[in-house]
Amino acid sequence: MSREEDADDRGFAQFERFLDAWSRRDFLKRAGGAAAFMAFSGGVVEFLQACAGSSNNNTTATVKKGGHIVEGNFTDIRTLNSMLSSDTASNQVIGLLFDGLTNQKKDGTVIPAVAESWKTSSDGLTYTFKLRSGMKWSDGQALTADDVKFTYALAYDPAYKDFASPRRGDLSKYIKSIDTPDPLTVVLTTTQVYAPFLASHGQYGILPKHILGSMDAKALNTADYNNNPTVSNGPFKFVSWQKGQQVTVGRNDSYYGGAPNLDQWIYKVLPDSVAVTNQLKTGEIDIGPIDPGQYDSLTGTQTVARSEFPVPTFTFYAYQLDPNKPAGPLFQDKAVRQALLFALDRNSMNQAIYFGHATAADSVEPPTSWAYKAKPQVLYPFNKAKAESMLDAAGWTKGTDGIRAKGGTKLKFTMITNAGNKQRESSLTYMQQAWHDIGVDATPSLIQFPQLVSQIVDIRTFDVFLVGFNWSVDPDEAALFHSRNTVPGGFNGFDFKNEQVDAILDQALGTLDQAKRKQLYGQFQDIMSDQVPAPILNFTHGIWGVNTRVQGTDFGPFNQYQFRPWLKNVWVTDGK
Amino acid sequence: MLAKYIARRFLASVVVVLGVTAITLALMKTTSGSYVPGIDLNPALRPDDIARLRADLGLDRPGWQWYATWIWGVLHGDFGHSMIDGSTVMSHIGDRLPNTIELTATAIVIGVLIAIPVGIIGALRHGTKTDHTMTVVSVAGFAVPQFWMGLILILVFSVTLEQHGLPWLPSSGAYSAVNGGDLIDRIEHLILPATVLSFFYISTWSRFIRSSMLEVLSQDYIRTARAKGMSERRVVYLHGLRNALIPLITLIGLELPGLVSGGLVVEVVFGWPGIGKLAFERALQYDYTTVMGVTFFATLLVIAGNLLADVLYGVLDPRIRYGS
Repeated sequence: MSREEDADDRGFAQFERFLDAWSRRDFLKRAGGAAAFMAFSGGVVEFLQACAGSSNNNTTATVKKGGHIVEGNFTDIRTLNSMLSSDTASNQVIGLLFDGLTNQKKDGTVIPAVAESWKTSSDGLTYTFKLRSGMKWSDGQALTADDVKFTYALAYDPAYKDFASPRRGDLSKYIKSIDTPDPLTVVLTTTQVYAPFLASHGQYGILPKHILGSMDAKALNTADYNNNPTVSNGPFKFVSWQKGQQVTVGRNDSYYGGAPNLDQWIYKVLPDSVAVTNQLKTGEIDIGPIDPGQYDSLTGTQTVARSEFPVPTFTFYAYQLDPNKPAGPLFQDKAVRQALLFALDRNSMNQAIYFGHATAADSVEPPTSWAYKAKPQVLYPFNKAKAESMLDAAGWTKGTDGIRAKGGTKLKFTMITNAGNKQRESSLTYMQQAWHDIGVDATPSLIQFPQLVSQIVDIRTFDVFLVGFNWSVDPDEAALFHSRNTVPGGFNGFDFKNEQVDAILDQALGTLDQAKRKQLYGQFQDIMSDQVPAPILNFTHGIWGVNTRVQGTDFGPFNQYQFRPWLKNVWVTDGK
Repeated sequence: MLAKYIARRFLASVVVVLGVTAITLALMKTTSGSYVPGIDLNPALRPDDIARLRADLGLDRPGWQWYATWIWGVLHGDFGHSMIDGSTVMSHIGDRLPNTIELTATAIVIGVLIAIPVGIIGALRHGTKTDHTMTVVSVAGFAVPQFWMGLILILVFSVTLEQHGLPWLPSSGAYSAVNGGDLIDRIEHLILPATVLSFFYISTWSRFIRSSMLEVLSQDYIRTARAKGMSERRVVYLHGLRNALIPLITLIGLELPGLVSGGLVVEVVFGWPGIGKLAFERALQYDYTTVMGVTFFATLLVIAGNLLADVLYGVLDPRIRYGS
């Protein structure tokens, strides 16, 4: 045996002795120490949380130039082409890079952007937009009426029919022609009076014709520009998109509104809403949307200011109204639909499930809308006794098993929503209990979101579904409640058909006078409150966390994701 | 003999790839969901838009037709474009693969480096408190879900430490959002996810090495070696460990596909921009082309990993012969 081997054997023996000692004595000591540290740190966190308060966001200190903001959200974007995008995340980043003809304030008022002003012809068919003069793309080329015409042509002109724009249905129906009498004028003629046109279709980010104009429709679908928009016209210009991780945009010095204060804005993709809250705490992100369930956990964090406001989003459940579907016959009687709604204490649902960060709904129009009617014809305050007597009167009487039945059919059905959305899951659990209390057997079932969407728009074998819906500025709700959208692919998957509602919705769309429209939507809300095909449970709140080093943000009901006319004024106090 | 063996395995793998991709598509088609362009229930999206956009992607055709078109593309080296964002599937895989390899390779190296000594110690000192402690920790490694362990580590080493003003570790991503990407920054981001992932490897592999070592050490030739007066170190490492490691080769060979898909849960919890997270998200969104591309790729790696392990077996263990 060599000396080297001897030395190694001694090392081996020492290692064994170390293990002996470690396993017999120190392990317990170490474990005890670790436990003590954990207990200590838990206590400190609570103590710090008790001391802290929230601080305000908008001060009047001198604006600093430079620095960056990291904004967190939990979905990666899909495209940066404004005429291809149909999801919130993509639209949010497109809003950093591109401006459309118009923008909107946080109350929903349409304001000038690329178009300096516009006027509507007396017959309501023609919109004439006057563009700002001297606008430049980020590569220095002039932005003119040709770019605007090109952008809209992508979604209405038959020459681009192979371009996969989700806007084609609407735009090709309503746009008759677009003319550009001079480089700063766009004349858009519509096929019929369509009231929401300006608010709904005026704000698509303008695309550069000098970059994309030579490509055909098919090539545009997969153009490199969609992922790498080298030229833009918004407050920021594109730097990079590391898929699944982040999108980085930088200051656009040739922005027509003047260069923004910040050097960079980074959109960071996070795993979930818990991660958004965690990283707001650690300062890894500066801005992020806060889940209602996470709101209180930020109470102790002094570096994060929260703003909360109602948004045009509602949570609703819909009854299967197609009599040919298994559950269809259960809900044909209006009294059943109304009774089930009376049995739900929506205020306590908001407290228990949304922690108070939602508003119980009485109307189908959100309170953020100018057409909102606070007290429509029929109101549904929680009233269990009334719910039971209504069901009794409608012939649904309790059997020996406590479940109501009528003519041998039990009042028994399944409710679906998407797995992973805690508020929706809890809502179904609550509804199961509340309805069980009045003798109705409703079973929750959770499915994946794309499957839920397929159930709503295609398959439609559901009994009851629960989901949320986001509305834009215009009060038109034909997408959900007009009978023409009961066709496959439409969102009226619960098969609500009411001629009066159809007529009112159509008339309101063809009316430009807002006072007249408001009256029509008032009637609409009254009828819907009586019919309750798809009761609205609540209007959710937008909650945003913003690091206190960030100044100049102004989130509001209509300034959340895509529309942020204040972007260029945002600055950071430490200039970093 | 070996060449013939590999050739036969290769032919069999073609069938496996076809089978796995066909089943993947069939599963996605039967889950009663489908690709919907306006995933946010966008009220501006009209029924005819949805139908048109689906038809553009060939989703109005029967599944087998779609599959035939897809296979035809793959045979020509074209994996198609993602349905969600229009960029090529290969570019997606190319973007994410380095991140996944960085994470999984780190975890595997840490796993091997720790599992082997832990396994040896467990075998040499089996029945002692040290062994029992290690057994408990290993069982915890199997039993504790990775997502839970990940969340706890984030809570302790990211949020709590930061709130105490102590040095803390970033909780998501592969590098910092601003000015990130240098070596130190990447290592900082790697620590938490690699810890969770390697903990699982250590738990699994150390148990295998322990039992394998115990078996080998009870063999006659070990007793003979000891009887010859050979040093304990030589007996354990030269005669024992080399033989005990053979089963580990299979395990690590099987982890090769894990290089692309293994860390799925860890990637999701830590927002690690890797292949596993890509496949997971795109499966939920019914991005058929991307899911099929990743599946194809992962299948190839499973086959390659198995083959490599089998070949290495022959190299390490002269008792194994490749015959028909």
